[in-house]
Amino acid sequence: MPAAAAPRAGLPVLEAASLVRDYGPVRAVDHVSFHLGAGEFLSVFGPNGAGKTSLLRLLAGGLRPTAGEVRVSGIPLTVGDRAARARIGILSHLSFLYGRLTARENLRFYGRLHGFGDLDSRVPDRLADVGLERYADSPVDTLSRGTVQRLAVARALLHDPEIVLLDEPYTGLDAYAGAMLQELLSGLKEGGRTVVMVTHNLGRGLELADRVAIQVRGSFVFEAERADLDAVGLERSYRRAVEGRA
Amino acid sequence: MTVYLRQVAAIVRKDLLLEVRTGERLAAMGALTVLVAVLFHFAIDQGLVRMQVLAAGLIWMTILFGGMLGMGRTFEMEREQGAIQGLLTSPVPLDGIYLAKVVSNFVLVTLIEVVALAAYWLFFGFNYGNDLLLLAGVLGVATLGFVAVTTLFAAISAQTNMGQTLLPILIFPLLVPVVIFGVTATGRIFASRPVQEVEGSLYLLAAFTVVALTAGTILFRYVVEE
Repeated sequence: MPAAAAPRAGLPVLEAASLVRDYGPVRAVDHVSFHLGAGEFLSVFGPNGAGKTSLLRLLAGGLRPTAGEVRVSGIPLTVGDRAARARIGILSHLSFLYGRLTARENLRFYGRLHGFGDLDSRVPDRLADVGLERYADSPVDTLSRGTVQRLAVARALLHDPEIVLLDEPYTGLDAYAGAMLQELLSGLKEGGRTVVMVTHNLGRGLELADRVAIQVRGSFVFEAERADLDAVGLERSYRRAVEGRA
Repeated sequence: MTVYLRQVAAIVRKDLLLEVRTGERLAAMGALTVLVAVLFHFAIDQGLVRMQVLAAGLIWMTILFGGMLGMGRTFEMEREQGAIQGLLTSPVPLDGIYLAKVVSNFVLVTLIEVVALAAYWLFFGFNYGNDLLLLAGVLGVATLGFVAVTTLFAAISAQTNMGQTLLPILIFPLLVPVVIFGVTATGRIFASRPVQEVEGSLYLLAAFTVVALTAGTILFRYVVEE
């Protein structure tokens, strides 16, 4: 896969500054702050309802913060910011694909939304990146869950985003498909992309991460560098964090 | 601007391609249109009632109900696999998404109008007047206004649990100008009245359509943004 574009020197590629998001009386994201440089991978763990997906939607510019802001290369991200959106790719457990369109048609559709004129070469390249050339003309409805998720990776990376946001990307995948996705995601780091992944899967999340955070009831209650943490330590910290706020 | 139009065209093309493949909305709209015409064919004693007098009202009623049935599902295809998030987080301006949905709905409702006109001609032998171009103009402008309002409210109702049940309740009061001026203008064309007698209603329909499109373009963002 092609490498991400170089970020502006000295500035974090992605920055959350005291982000808050309320849904009526419920606070889903509570003063979350962090910053990530080029090629850094942050894994965010947390129980159901911790506010992880809301955090990711704030980072994607799909949700308006109640307070605080997201900055992309130092520039505040606003909802509807077209230029910033073009620098962000999102991969979720939902594929964002249309089942009655073929793999190729889906990618061409998203390519047109990005205004690309080189779809005849870009789409086959992306399909080849995820090993789906032979499924190019198969309707998405006929593909297995793992294959659809690989196609969703191609969709998310179609526009060579600098920042990739992953929302529970392993949901519904069997062990084989999960391992294949893990391989694809590790390629993101090597390509210099800045990645935020929210997941329940401690093992997978830790394997890829440079930094980890545990989010409970909206706020980051634990943060650590990957180098300072092993799987047992993470599990212990996770249990303590979740039980401590229960 | 070119990129913007290409983005709008991409969504329209995708919507119509999905409609061709699934036929979900067209089949429901077409079936309702033909069914209403058949029902009236048997329900009305054409020896007692002069059908030509009812023509405009029957046709507009069929178009409104048939159109609403299909447009209520405008955002259904986007809910599958979270595709709406794919659209909302893409670089397409939100007003571009709205306009694309208006265009694809306009195409579908226009097809239903052709079916309705053909069905009523077949069952009742309606005379559609001497000026088919003017008829096309009135139907086109009124349909655009109808679609502009309904598409916006389809986006609102798609976010509620009541969904399509809510749509007619929200929308009917707002469609009163389309109904009044659309039926008036269409009736006069069917009666082969002079163009001057149609112009007033046509201008009012055009004004309604411009206001509806402008309001929809501005307000869509507040409907889908959280």
